[in-house]
Amino acid sequence: MIPAWHYDGQSATRHEVSVVAQEDGLRLDLGDGQTGLAPWADLFWIDKRDGASVFGRRGVNGWRVGIPLPMTDLLARRLPPQSIYGGLVDKFGIWPSVAGFTALSAAVVLILWKAPDLVAPLVPMSWEQKMGDAMIGDLGGRICDGAEGQKALDALVRRIDPEAGHLRVRIVNVDMVNAAALPGGQIVVFRGLLQEAKNPDELAGVLGHEIGHVRNRDVMQAMLRQAGLTLLMGGVGGDVGGALNSAISASYSRAAESRADGYAINLMRAANVSPIPTAQFFDRLAEDERKLGKGAIAMSYMSSHPLSEARRKVFMASARKDAAYAPAVTPQQWRAIVDACANDPDVEEGDLF
Amino acid sequence: MGVGNQDQTAFEFRGDWKAFLPIAASNLLLTFVTLGVYRFWATTRERRYLWSQTRFIDDTLEWTGTGKELFLGFLMAIVALFVPIIGLQFLIQALILQGQTGFAGLLAFSFYFVILFLVGFATFRALRYRLSRTHWHGIRGGSDDPGFRYGVSYIWKTLAGGLALGLLIPWSMTQLWADRWGAMSFGPHRFESAPESGGLMKRYLLLYLVPVAAIILGIGAAVSSGGEPSGLGAMIGLLALAFYVVLPLLALGYYAAYFREVIGTLSLTSIQFQFTARTKQWFMLFLGNAGLFLLALLVALIPISALGLFAGLQDLQPGQDPFAQNPGAVIGMIVALIIPLSLVGPFIRYRNWRFFIRNLEATGEIDLDLLTQSQTKVGSHGEGLFDALDVGAM
Repeated sequence: MIPAWHYDGQSATRHEVSVVAQEDGLRLDLGDGQTGLAPWADLFWIDKRDGASVFGRRGVNGWRVGIPLPMTDLLARRLPPQSIYGGLVDKFGIWPSVAGFTALSAAVVLILWKAPDLVAPLVPMSWEQKMGDAMIGDLGGRICDGAEGQKALDALVRRIDPEAGHLRVRIVNVDMVNAAALPGGQIVVFRGLLQEAKNPDELAGVLGHEIGHVRNRDVMQAMLRQAGLTLLMGGVGGDVGGALNSAISASYSRAAESRADGYAINLMRAANVSPIPTAQFFDRLAEDERKLGKGAIAMSYMSSHPLSEARRKVFMASARKDAAYAPAVTPQQWRAIVDACANDPDVEEGDLF
Repeated sequence: MGVGNQDQTAFEFRGDWKAFLPIAASNLLLTFVTLGVYRFWATTRERRYLWSQTRFIDDTLEWTGTGKELFLGFLMAIVALFVPIIGLQFLIQALILQGQTGFAGLLAFSFYFVILFLVGFATFRALRYRLSRTHWHGIRGGSDDPGFRYGVSYIWKTLAGGLALGLLIPWSMTQLWADRWGAMSFGPHRFESAPESGGLMKRYLLLYLVPVAAIILGIGAAVSSGGEPSGLGAMIGLLALAFYVVLPLLALGYYAAYFREVIGTLSLTSIQFQFTARTKQWFMLFLGNAGLFLLALLVALIPISALGLFAGLQDLQPGQDPFAQNPGAVIGMIVALIIPLSLVGPFIRYRNWRFFIRNLEATGEIDLDLLTQSQTKVGSHGEGLFDALDVGAM
């Protein structure tokens, strides 16, 4: 018989009781010949309070018994152990749990990083097209769709990729030096990039690279990866503006980038367009970056397509000495592309967001 | 049983930060390695400690909430809240694209009401959840009101408070407090709440008029100087003083009076509650919390400087990317910054709770035999919506 205190969960009155360990449970002697029995399996540890261990009973809200410490061996053996961190962690111990959780988290991150490569090809093309259309719709009137400019741009695209029938390349009236592949074979070139480019061959290299992303189905992959990371960060994004944002700033894996470069180089070789201007274009952008600093280039071509010396060299090296390169489009067509936004009377100007 | 007298305060907090530190530190570690999932269990452990160190008359409080129910509540809030919101956003955008701007505008407008409703609803449910998980002498609190009515009341009272140039805000704040607490109970007893906003108006008007006065004085100073740089400087100085020093102090003064009023008019059967904190105590609380942040930054600075020296970053040239050279050192620096800063949150919650309990008083009589178990419904999930909407950020 060990003296203890007890709340029955019915009223706030505190009862002085005595407890005995029995085979089938903890027996409470409530006085006046009344007893109660709490099966061992129903008891759970709550805390240590005023020199007593406090236990609750499953299924009886507010039922408490406080047994003074130190407890007899018999009671200590039968009563549930102290809980510190919560069920699972207490079961395995803190350090094994930390190790286990770390491994699990690493696996989750790895899966979220790798799964897009496997899942992206399974996304039906029709879904991708719908997403792309929604993003283009989001740009609204900011697309420079004057007939002249669009025709010249289409000519340039066909020149470097004769099989580009299903691709839709558009110019967007946003002053940003960038170009991006969106889902569903949509490619957007921002006005700033056209103003920065000196000739059509420079644009041809940039477009060839984006066409490479479309053909390799990199866009969906990068977007899924981005979504996975966003999920991890606990943020929940999902509006079209956010999706458009992520498509533009999506970072492709290094391998995807160099595959897209390779694709562009092949296209240009087949089309007999010189890769040297593209290399020079990269050079100029890299120079700007050095001058302006990192902060100034957020959301620009340099931030979404990190320019490395290696990339420039690949384009440079792919030039053939004996080739008779021809400009990607005529000077008139080039003017029409560059001035596409200026010549579109009903285009809206604006920032992206 | 008598509650609170000259010799003994009814509420007492006897926690010790040295005992709280291992809880906060292990919570941080487990939260990191589970990519944040453990934070629900972390919250539960924090509350268990704080409640267990809080004595009311002759026994401590007990937090019986679980990490699992908070986690479930969070998942439910995500599904119940974010899915419809995202859907609605898509719908509005689609309507705009189809030229239905009028209907889209109406939808966007009603969206504002939905958010207001949810904030009110979530506040109510969080209070209900917390009371239903707080045990004393084996008895818990709760409410049978699901909180929908409160959500509606929250919409119109918030709007009404704002409509009259914001002059009715003290009225709406006290009314909403009374609505909320009037629906809560502990054991078989209802809370009774009858705060009045009249006594708060003096402080509120002061808070309300200072920005106006500062702008007028500032413009006056600028005009009288005829646009001289010194006059403009005086104007900017006055405005900065008003907005960064005077205004926060007045806001604190208002909130101190608000809490004294709403808690001072709260009762449970024959127990009358009081809250004693004056503006000065609130100021010291916030000063201390800000001090914790500074302390964490100072602590972080030591390993960061050491790593910087070690990694040779002192030779860094402008324009060079520090991340390129020493990824290990940079990650080390980020960790050195994150650890102390992440410990600030738990300790601020610790200080806030201690502040609350130290200033909380109760007097009256309590009959333990009549304080029987609450018959209110117990929800199976926590304050997910409240957390998801970040209402608790206040």
